[in-house]
Amino acid sequence: MNTPSELLELSLTQAAALVKSRKVSPVELVDASLARIARIDGDLHAYISVYEQAREVAKAADIMQAAGHDLGPLHGIPIALKDNIALKGLRTTAGSKVLSDWLPDHDATIASRLRASGAIFVGKLNMHEFAWGGTSDNPHYGAVKNPWDTTRFPAGSSGGSGVAVAARTCWGAIGTDTGGSIRLPSAINGIVGIRPTYGRVSNHGIIPLAWSMDTAGPMTRTVEDCALMFGTMAGHDPKDPTTAKVPVSDYMAGLKHGVKGLRIGVVPGYFFHHLQAPVEKAVRQALSTFEQLGAQLVEVDIHNIHGNISAQLTIESCEPSTYHQRWLRERPQDYGEDVRTLLEVGEMLLATHYLQAQRYRTLLRQEFMDAFAKVDVFICPTLPFTATPLGDMKVVIENGVEEDMLSAIMQYTGVPSLTGLPSLSVPCGFDTDGLPVGMQIIGKPFDEATLFRAGAAFQSVTDFHLKAPPV
Amino acid sequence: MSTHTPVSPELVAQLGHFGALPLSKERLSVVAPLLDAWLKDANQLSEKMSAAQHQTLVPATVFAHPGNHEGEGAA
Repeated sequence: MNTPSELLELSLTQAAALVKSRKVSPVELVDASLARIARIDGDLHAYISVYEQAREVAKAADIMQAAGHDLGPLHGIPIALKDNIALKGLRTTAGSKVLSDWLPDHDATIASRLRASGAIFVGKLNMHEFAWGGTSDNPHYGAVKNPWDTTRFPAGSSGGSGVAVAARTCWGAIGTDTGGSIRLPSAINGIVGIRPTYGRVSNHGIIPLAWSMDTAGPMTRTVEDCALMFGTMAGHDPKDPTTAKVPVSDYMAGLKHGVKGLRIGVVPGYFFHHLQAPVEKAVRQALSTFEQLGAQLVEVDIHNIHGNISAQLTIESCEPSTYHQRWLRERPQDYGEDVRTLLEVGEMLLATHYLQAQRYRTLLRQEFMDAFAKVDVFICPTLPFTATPLGDMKVVIENGVEEDMLSAIMQYTGVPSLTGLPSLSVPCGFDTDGLPVGMQIIGKPFDEATLFRAGAAFQSVTDFHLKAPPV
Repeated sequence: MSTHTPVSPELVAQLGHFGALPLSKERLSVVAPLLDAWLKDANQLSEKMSAAQHQTLVPATVFAHPGNHEGEGAA
């Protein structure tokens, strides 16, 4: 018999195996999850809604399993969703006051797929309002706090997702990522998260931020867990015309194949330029680990990589300002101050700025595609700093100079967002205050399998992902 | 090509007028400094992308997905 604490320490894959062998029941997992949420979330603010009815779903999952019905790889596993993902008949706020009482009449495609694979939803997660920001300092549902140090921010916009997983309240969560919103909270909270190739996962039923860059993906404690969840979500969706008809790989199959011979690209003039020293040290150490595992480092020049942050900000402001145009005029007072300002600024940029930024994406993507003749993946920091104090909108990266948080936080995550390339954030160290550091593994289009293989190889010889926050 | 005049609240008001977005004096003052910073960088990017060697590049508004345009997978 496992105690609830022991159950919560299991990885998703371990918990799923125990459910499958009937050594643990879905009811035990859901009870442990809901009890943990009740005990710690009053302070962390990771959840906007908690589903007590999940206990009834768990009983049904138990009965189905006893009768020989295995729904799939996530049978009986408690999962939580970012609150911009629609669930039929259940409040979906996108972290906003504007949608505070919206009850969708449909499920998001990814929610349907997770449910069809056996997942049980225990709640909806707090986030930066409408996903437009990187702090998850939500004025309507409370500032999400970092479980490693509750005076620090959890990053965002999927801050609730990062915290819920790191704090062991559920075995996996779904986030959405436009400019870094899965990868940033994954790195800052010491967990794993993947931004899929644009077009790999359906956005149907997800409140948009920027249509041309929006993606959704799993956030988990291990790479193996992430691969397992990803396999249940990926694939073409007739309801989302931007999804691609590309076959979905068996992402678990290559996890133990190692990285011998893998060519890892590094862009020296950008990847290790302008970042905090502990972040650089941790990521360089990770690269050494990969070399020891048989990978080869290759220095690559991406000539046009500078300029990506402006392109990112231009696109990520013009598209949301278009989506929010009516609400911004009818109920501007219902937005938080920061998001309202960003939406207003997005209305002031010109169409030529937007289209030049879209042309820059073509240029940057082509450079990366050319570079993939010489490398299999790129590795860089996920972001250039560790968790900042709650409420700070400025960050000091080097030389005591304060910088705007939004621009600084996207230094590395903007590149995959603009190019549409997949990117996996994996924990790779801690700073001197014990705050997590993450690295970003960037891959070829639709080659998420290689990212999982590299991440799993790294986790097979490191233990950063096994450390738990002190909450 | 790249000249930069700081964005004033009055200019924000004019830009808001173009988009039928009336803003209070307080909002004009909040928007002006952020817009100023972003416009400067956006104009630099526009200058870069206007260079002759980039003339043939087209916007990547939506990426083309392999398999969507051929055979059975045609969109």
